[in-house]
Amino acid sequence: MKIVVCVKQVPATTAEKRYSADLRLDRTAAEAVINPLDEYAIEQALRLKEGGVVDEVVYLSMGPESAAEALRRSLAMGGDGGVLVTDSALAGADEWVTARVLAAALDKLGPDVSLMGMSSDDAKGSLVPGAVAAIREVPLLAYGAELTLTDDAARIRRLNPTGFDILEAPLPVVATVTDQVGEPRYASLKGIMAARRQELTTWSVADLGLDPADLAPLTQVVAADPPPAKAPPQVISGVGPDEAATRIADWLAQRKLIA
Amino acid sequence: MADVAFLAEFADGHPTRSALELAVGAAELAAAVGGTAVGLAYGPGAADGAAGLGAAGAARVIVLGDAAEPAVTSAGPLVEAVRAEGPVAVLAPATPNGRDLAAVLVGSLGLPAFGPVRAVHMEGGAIRCEMSTLQGAMITASQPAPSAPATSVVLVSAGTYSPREGGSGTATVSRAPAADSPQAKVRIVETATESAAIAALEEAEIIVAGGRGVGSEAGFEALNQLAAALGGVVGASRAAADAGWVPYQLQIGQTGKVVKPALYLAVGISGAIQHRVGMQAAEHVVAINRDPDAPIGEFADLFVVGDLFEIVPRLTAEIERRKGT
Repeated sequence: MKIVVCVKQVPATTAEKRYSADLRLDRTAAEAVINPLDEYAIEQALRLKEGGVVDEVVYLSMGPESAAEALRRSLAMGGDGGVLVTDSALAGADEWVTARVLAAALDKLGPDVSLMGMSSDDAKGSLVPGAVAAIREVPLLAYGAELTLTDDAARIRRLNPTGFDILEAPLPVVATVTDQVGEPRYASLKGIMAARRQELTTWSVADLGLDPADLAPLTQVVAADPPPAKAPPQVISGVGPDEAATRIADWLAQRKLIA
Repeated sequence: MADVAFLAEFADGHPTRSALELAVGAAELAAAVGGTAVGLAYGPGAADGAAGLGAAGAARVIVLGDAAEPAVTSAGPLVEAVRAEGPVAVLAPATPNGRDLAAVLVGSLGLPAFGPVRAVHMEGGAIRCEMSTLQGAMITASQPAPSAPATSVVLVSAGTYSPREGGSGTATVSRAPAADSPQAKVRIVETATESAAIAALEEAEIIVAGGRGVGSEAGFEALNQLAAALGGVVGASRAAADAGWVPYQLQIGQTGKVVKPALYLAVGISGAIQHRVGMQAAEHVVAINRDPDAPIGEFADLFVVGDLFEIVPRLTAEIERRKGT
């Protein structure tokens, strides 16, 4: 059984982010990390491997050459190999283009489970996994709080409004997991050293049998502005709890938030 | 034809809040391009309730399926209906079910995708979407590329539109042709109810949210009482949900719900960026925290530095006193 975990390199949560003049995210400006929610997918895949259900865990990333670092950081946590799809034709890729490229790479890798994080920090449509499933014509099992596998099927536990459902689909599938699967492990020093020496596979768009002319983004950003500055808060400090409660109630009443 | 379609999820025989909100959005956008709103209904009760979406704003409704199956199993009929109808846009709720269907639609037909949006407009017959991106660091506007297919898929955040009140009318109902799809293979093998009384946060006008500072499941009792006094509901940060003090359905933030209440009262929540993305659209934010440097102070309108265990019960009592109860 083989899992391919898709990982995305994103600007660190704390990094300053900016758009370049062509309204694309300036990915050179900020410190880059593995998308934090992808680390849960990595953790889930490694647990399944440790449980003996999965033989091989391979990482797949699409991005600039520097995204190789995200693959090495993933490999430092565990796993067996990394594939980077990088091509100048992919700068500014949108959901559709990203999904097509990942789907083509996954076709080549042939996993039983293509596993992804539930969303990415730098764009939050969360549409790529489902689009990949549609292109590959396999079932989608998204938002799993846990992923389990049998010989021929995958199951996820997914929240519903009052509890949870167990969803099942026959393999192969595309699945995504949430941050409820368990805290991602830290890479060991040994793992980091080994990951540095690991050979990564690099594919271009042509290697995937895709024509760059077919990979024009379907969406375009036409404006990017910082949000309007928020006025500093009114602060209540250094007063007793009775006084604080009265002043909060006054504040709410002034805004007609209490009857 | 310049219609605007929307996903209309049904549960327990009724349209969900998201269906009623998106009907209004679709009707607004359709009016701007001389078309009508078309509902794409799925979920238990969709067939019987479809005509009733006329009162919400839909002129027509196409029923994709109405079994108690996972929402994604309606993807096959959805793709065929959109292919046949060719609407300018398909609005989908930014919920797990809505995203599943939207994503499969995008991948099946190769469509431009946007969102979750905070506003959608029509400009010269083309859609223009505004969204908060990079965890709120930027507001971007996006449009379909000139070469893109004519239909856009748009995820819409909860609370972007308000359901129509007192509407009347009946929508014309048709049934989507059956269509084979790999998504039909997804099935529910088990369902567990953990608590039947979990409030729908997306619909709440007032939310009292507790975080790590609340300290325990018992600590949430004071928040329940404050929420009851305010006529609101209780929510939580990831830390509180992870600790098991409240069910995960009440988690607000990047990996939980995204809410847009009139009042968000954050109690003992430090305000990590992952929490902020779930509540930054709230109209008024009040924070109670004992740490004067807590990041939540940066995006609160009223920041109260003090002990929540002392302040919250007194605030509840004060509100009840003013209400005369």
